[in-house]
Amino acid sequence: MHCTSKTLLIGAFGPALRRANTLPPAFLIPSFSSPLSSTPFSTTTATLARKDGNPNRGVSALRRTGLSKRQRVTSPHVPKDGSPVILPKPVLDPQSRSTVRVDRTHGLYDFFNNDRVAMMTPTELAAHGRAWSVQELRRKDWEDLHRLWWVCIKEKNKVETFKKERQRVGSMYGDFEADARAKEVRATMRSIKFVLTERWYTWENARNVAMQDDEINLSTNPDQGERAYIPGNEQQLQLEDSVTESGEEGTYTPMSGEIPPPPPEASRNEGARV
Amino acid sequence: MALTRATLTPFRVGTKELYLPDITIAFLRTPTSPPSTAKFQVPPWFSKLDLRDYLYHVYAVRTLSVRSYVKQSRVIEGDPLLPRPQPNRWHRPRPTKFMTVELERPFVWPEEPESYDEWNKTEMKESEETQKELAEANGPGKDAIVNKDRRGKMREQAKALLEGNVKWKAGEDRKGSGRLLGR
Repeated sequence: MHCTSKTLLIGAFGPALRRANTLPPAFLIPSFSSPLSSTPFSTTTATLARKDGNPNRGVSALRRTGLSKRQRVTSPHVPKDGSPVILPKPVLDPQSRSTVRVDRTHGLYDFFNNDRVAMMTPTELAAHGRAWSVQELRRKDWEDLHRLWWVCIKEKNKVETFKKERQRVGSMYGDFEADARAKEVRATMRSIKFVLTERWYTWENARNVAMQDDEINLSTNPDQGERAYIPGNEQQLQLEDSVTESGEEGTYTPMSGEIPPPPPEASRNEGARV
Repeated sequence: MALTRATLTPFRVGTKELYLPDITIAFLRTPTSPPSTAKFQVPPWFSKLDLRDYLYHVYAVRTLSVRSYVKQSRVIEGDPLLPRPQPNRWHRPRPTKFMTVELERPFVWPEEPESYDEWNKTEMKESEETQKELAEANGPGKDAIVNKDRRGKMREQAKALLEGNVKWKAGEDRKGSGRLLGR
């Protein structure tokens, strides 16, 4: 807020001056002879106030201030020659609005049936097959199972979309059929997880067996043509072991991953007696 | 594979690859929204980045922006799925989350079916009204229910009797008349 001596003086002496019998004090008379100066009391100059670089300072749509003096509307609808602005008018009637062209390959159509209708009838919802069984899925590879998983997810989304649409319109039939359909989808997904879990345990067991097998070398790289399975390698290794054992008198090292050799006949008989 | 896919996406994808996520979302019809937007109901833990990634990778839909809204559920008494009422078990169900995306290509929902006869909507509505009436007739406020049909019929009957059009006889229209006289 800026405060000038003029406004102060008018406020202080305005009512007093109206009275004819009172005059301003003698020391103030020279100031009335000349026009009043308007020097602000504030040390901040008026031109510098609120110069924060905000071009929208003071412009408000709520107070309907309009644009400031230095602002100009730049829009393709505004002609540059200064002629009046022709703004587009909103079409309030939904019937007279122009139709929107939707791409036939839009991805959101996957939330609907192949007919691309808003909702599936209860008859259509009930026309579904059974879930994939574990026996059938065991023959499929990972790519197929992964693809089938996402088919199931999309089917669930579809059923859920139709369910929400039925709830929006009002209570009607179709929930029972939709639940039965979703149940089959969930059974398929459960079977996929079952098969993958089973496959993982099979692989883990095979790996453990291969670690015990001397004919299989797990550290080879098959991509470079190295052979992981060398038949007959077991006999060679056993021969090598027997050679080393003969030198060390049957010492058994547990880290070799082998079954310890049977104890000699004498100690076995003693054990039987005890 | 993952690196090329990441570089081709219009946004930066995460490095964690999910192979078998079980996420269900529902596409909702919004008659008042413009066709450049699409509204979904998503799991409560879903984030805007999740939905953008989900729509791009599962449905090949490119989005410009995502808005999120969590709708608080109302306090209810008992489990609505159970057949018997559970009094004094007030609780607030989990809130639902909705997300509105701005689409790169507009999408208009398919038109509504002309009639819902296939869905038996009329029969369902009638059955609901009948069940509501029955529940009210057997409910705690059954004494206060005014049967306006019966009232009108009694008025007609009384008028006919007063005018002399019909002569009243005790228990004429009832089988076993006089049986309840001793009560």
